[in-house]
Amino acid sequence: MILFFYTLTMKLNYIFKKGGMKVRILFSLLGIFIFSLVSLGAANKISTALVNESTVVPITHELREKYPIKPHHAKLSLDCIHCHDGQGKDPEKFEAIGDEGCLACHGSKQKVALRTGFMDSFHTNPHNSFHDGLAYHCDDCHQVHQPSKNSCLECHEKELPNWMKKVTP
Amino acid sequence: MKKKIFILILFVGVIIGLIISYISYETITRTGTAKFCVICHEMAPMRASFDQDVHGGTGKTGIRANCVDCHLPHNNLMNYIFTKAKNGSIEVGAHFFGDVDTFDWQNHREGRAKFVFDDGCKKCHTNYTTNEKFSAKARQMHQHYNALIGTDKELGCASCHAEVGHHGLNNMLNIYKPEHPLYEKGSEKEKLKINEKLYGKGSIN
Ligand code: HEC
Ligand code: HEC
Ligand code: HEC
Ligand code: HEC
Ligand code: HEC
Ligand code: HEC
Ligand code: HEC
Repeated sequence: MILFFYTLTMKLNYIFKKGGMKVRILFSLLGIFIFSLVSLGAANKISTALVNESTVVPITHELREKYPIKPHHAKLSLDCIHCHDGQGKDPEKFEAIGDEGCLACHGSKQKVALRTGFMDSFHTNPHNSFHDGLAYHCDDCHQVHQPSKNSCLECHEKELPNWMKKVTP
Repeated sequence: MKKKIFILILFVGVIIGLIISYISYETITRTGTAKFCVICHEMAPMRASFDQDVHGGTGKTGIRANCVDCHLPHNNLMNYIFTKAKNGSIEVGAHFFGDVDTFDWQNHREGRAKFVFDDGCKKCHTNYTTNEKFSAKARQMHQHYNALIGTDKELGCASCHAEVGHHGLNNMLNIYKPEHPLYEKGSEKEKLKINEKLYGKGSIN
């Protein structure tokens, strides 16, 4: 191996000496070209590795039909993994994501409460209510794969349509 | 003699050119400020919510964006002027032909990715993909956004960032035009207070 490189460099040296400037420039250009090709390949490999790592969970068409999501999330093309990340590789074993799961995207309970803050003057804000302030959990009302059910309805069936959307998003 | 006339024509031409550029520069920039955009009162909820937002200058550094930074495309001057003229004439049309009060702003928000232009956001938020200070979720979402550019599922920054540029937009719209009956009580008074702040005391409407 070492011998091979040795003879190669000797030969190259000989060519350089004989060919002068032009050959030298040509060779360095070739060298740069090969170097960039190699690094391009490496970069490609790295980026595909990154992508593959986060999308290894195979999702079949049936699974998507079994676990449909609501239009406000569907139109963002959200995938299972955007909500169920870190829950293993078996989609059938995914679990609920809790308040933290929702808040990773929606910020904080305060932030969500501010979005319906105009209701505060009557204490009817579902995100900051008369009874428990910010203490309610998102899944007390919002469901992702089934129709949502507003927990205030249990006791305020009559008033609720005057207070907020009849259908909880 | 001929040379003199030629120079004169050249001189006059340059002057006229300068005047025209100055006028168009002034109209384009002046009609792009927050002040100009709220002359029409139908913009009151948008302006009031803008004033509460970091983009309206409430942030620590006091940086303030102009309406046109987010609402007009910047990739190309003709596109910019054309969109501006189109939006402007729709608004003027709405103003004079009287469907302002019935216009459903809440419903209009559904299409927000179409009237908010991302190249404006990206001019200020240049490193939205790599910023280490963003949460992991934010970076994941921004990668998702990048991956969909150029596909038929392409998103806009505003698809995800509701109320950006207009902190409390939903609340303001509900003060000006309550969606649920309960909040009709007292909304007139709130509205007057906000209008006074925007347009000065004694303003009608
Ligand atoms: C917007 C976030 C979100 C997305 C996207 C999402 N899920 Fe869920 N998933 C949830 C939440 C929240 C629950 C808890 C139950 C509920 O709210 O419906 C859940 C529950 C589940 C469960 C447990 C069901 C049960 O009965 O306990 C499975 C399995 C599941 N999801 C699979 C999937 C699959 C497969 C996909 C992609 C096709 C997906 N999820 C996409 C948020 C999401
Ligand atoms: C991967 C990020 C992500 C996660 C996780 C997520 N959401 Fe969302 N959600 C969004 C985005 C982006 C929007 C659209 C912009 C907006 O209105 O905030 C949205 C919209 C919504 C809306 C509709 C808003 C409207 O205008 O009607 C509701 C309700 C909602 N999400 C509830 C939830 C709940 C409850 C959870 C937890 C189970 C959750 N989301 C988890 C990203 C997410
Ligand atoms: C007590 C029931 C309840 C709980 C708990 C609840 N929500 Fe809501 N949420 C609602 C209702 C009802 C609406 C529709 C409000 C309206 O009339 O506009 C709503 C609207 C929203 C919206 C859209 C706001 C907008 O700008 O229109 C988001 C986002 C949201 N909820 C997220 C969450 C998250 C995240 C949690 C958990 C921290 C949560 N919600 C907890 C009932 C609830
Ligand atoms: C377990 C039953 C129950 C649930 C669930 C419940 N409430 Fe109540 N709520 C009551 C009762 C009982 C009263 C009246 C007694 C009182 O004043 O404490 C009341 C009073 C109120 C009042 C003030 C009185 C009024 O009618 O003007 C508001 C506002 C209110 N509730 C909002 C909500 C909201 C918003 C939710 C959902 C987040 C909710 N409630 C869920 C039982 C409930
Ligand atoms: C930082 C960027 C930004 C700036 C600056 C900005 N906007 Fe917006 N604007 C938005 C976004 C994002 C939305 C969509 C908000 C939503 O629907 O949640 C929007 C929505 C609107 C809407 C439609 C509201 C509706 O209900 O459909 C109007 C009108 C508007 N802006 C006018 C203005 C005016 C006037 C100004 C200057 C005073 C301004 N904007 C400054 C980003 C911006
Ligand atoms: C004129 C420059 C400018 C433009 C244009 C601009 N931003 Fe910003 N943005 C800022 C500054 C400055 C801050 C405050 C940063 C800080 O305090 O660290 C900010 C803050 C934010 C925040 C976090 C603060 C919050 O509201 O919670 C988000 C999200 C954001 N911008 C998104 C956008 C989007 C989406 C657009 C395009 C519709 C946009 N920005 C256009 C300068 C700009
Ligand atoms: C697919 C949804 C999505 C899209 C599209 C998107 N973002 Fe975000 N962005 C998020 C989420 C989720 C967060 C984290 C929110 C949080 O932590 O409150 C975030 C965070 C940010 C923040 C930091 C806010 C903070 O307070 O830390 C900025 C700035 C921002 N985005 C700018 C942009 C810009 C500019 C674009 C368009 C080029 C864009 N985003 C497009 C989902 C999105």
